[in-house]
Amino acid sequence: MTKTIVVTSGKGGVGKTTTSASIATGLAKRGFKTVVIDFDVGLRNLDLIMGCERRVVYDLVNLVNQEASLHQTLIKDKRIENLYILPASQTRDKDALTIEGIARVMHKLKKSEFDYIICDSPAGIEKGAKMALYFADEAIVTTNPEVSSVRDSDRILGILQSESKRSKMNEEPVKEHLLITRYNPARVKEGQMLSVDDIVDLLAIPLLGIIPESPSVLDCSNAGKPVILDDESAAGQAYSDAIDRLLGESKPHRFMEAPKKGFLSRLFG
Amino acid sequence: MSSNPGVELKGGMYTFMSLKLHTSDMDVIDAKLADKIQQAPTFFKDTPVVIDLTVLEKMESEINTLLLLECVRRHNLIPIVASTIDKSSPMAQSIALPLIDGGVSRSIKEKTSSNTAEGSSEKPDETASSTIDVSPDVDISLSREIEYVVKTPLVIDKPIRSGQQVYARDTDLIVMGPIGPGAEVIADNNIHVYGPLRGRALCGVSGNTSSRIFCQSLEAELVSVAGNYRMLETIPEELRGKPAMVWLDKDRLNIEPL
Repeated sequence: MTKTIVVTSGKGGVGKTTTSASIATGLAKRGFKTVVIDFDVGLRNLDLIMGCERRVVYDLVNLVNQEASLHQTLIKDKRIENLYILPASQTRDKDALTIEGIARVMHKLKKSEFDYIICDSPAGIEKGAKMALYFADEAIVTTNPEVSSVRDSDRILGILQSESKRSKMNEEPVKEHLLITRYNPARVKEGQMLSVDDIVDLLAIPLLGIIPESPSVLDCSNAGKPVILDDESAAGQAYSDAIDRLLGESKPHRFMEAPKKGFLSRLFG
Repeated sequence: MSSNPGVELKGGMYTFMSLKLHTSDMDVIDAKLADKIQQAPTFFKDTPVVIDLTVLEKMESEINTLLLLECVRRHNLIPIVASTIDKSSPMAQSIALPLIDGGVSRSIKEKTSSNTAEGSSEKPDETASSTIDVSPDVDISLSREIEYVVKTPLVIDKPIRSGQQVYARDTDLIVMGPIGPGAEVIADNNIHVYGPLRGRALCGVSGNTSSRIFCQSLEAELVSVAGNYRMLETIPEELRGKPAMVWLDKDRLNIEPL
């Protein structure tokens, strides 16, 4: 059974694409045949983060318009077996997408026996975002510990409940997961950021993971490498934990406390 | 089709306008009726009305029912039934209309309004949008009477998210989960919220001034009863995040801890 997961947030710049890349990579690394689709038609970021921007020939819009085959459009990741990228078009806009067209693409992917389809949603609540979440079985709602981001996540959760295919067909509702990104325990302690408890209380959905703010996220993005592949970094480990939880394992949440400063960092920090 | 039963006899509840008479003076009735109808002629035209004689019966006064019906019809209202307490009274006997028992519904109403006084129960929404003012100095009143029907409340067991709106028409709204900031819950009757109330809550939107809002954690952006509202800033600090009740005392919106 193919599972379709949308990574969404409402607000922009909170880490949807970073999350999509890492979740897809993490699932593929565990042996699941996974494709990650960039729904941000017109902007195209996912291929940069996945480090395959030079290999884009055809894109999602070509596939939707039946100008290219699935085989021609999918980009196979060079590092991870079982991982494929379906890039967005940079020359078109979101109006090029239709529910029927996306449905056809989804059907083809299911026939190709993908285990997971990860949909990287664009920001906002307009057509692009609605297209990305329409076919979702599960949703990873990405939120920064900050009031406006939480508010927008609440809004997108409402849209998931009313505009997804599952809601329209009266099926079991989309399974929701909360992923808090750019979490900085030190700033939470200072009262400059919302705490995990505040966010969970506000959104009232199960917590999938807390990704600490980490310089390695930017480093990896610049290098075209999903941060989950950086085993050394806290962010990479946190994404790895999130994958375990997504697959049904229960694991205690880490990175909620500020790291204790060691002797040297106290001396120089 | 063989499944067509031809006719069906069934019980049903319908809403009718009632004409309650507080005087037997035909000139006053005629003038007051003209005055009422002139306020909204198209609304009243050819409307079926219940002639409510119960007040006159209590006053033990008599009325020429022939003239009364003629007057009512002249104002383009259609009398369909008379409501009386005593079907054997001369007035009830003389009126050329079917009779219904006006005593029963009265006792139901008195019972429910005493419940409302205790702040615990629903009340038939007599003051729905089309109500014509029933001030005590007016001798007759045209009010829309709504039968006392127990309507199931609208129960929402999922969170109500920012940007979502829920409306409980003619009934109570019960929300089990949180109501997010920017979400809006609206009801014609009471609103009960068991999660934190962070959005906007408006009860009695069709004019029911006795409806109330009950919540476990008052963090609302706005609360309103029958159009009288207060914003979060004017909600006392000590009540925020606490269980509270919002109700209307005459024109004053009160917020009390529970």
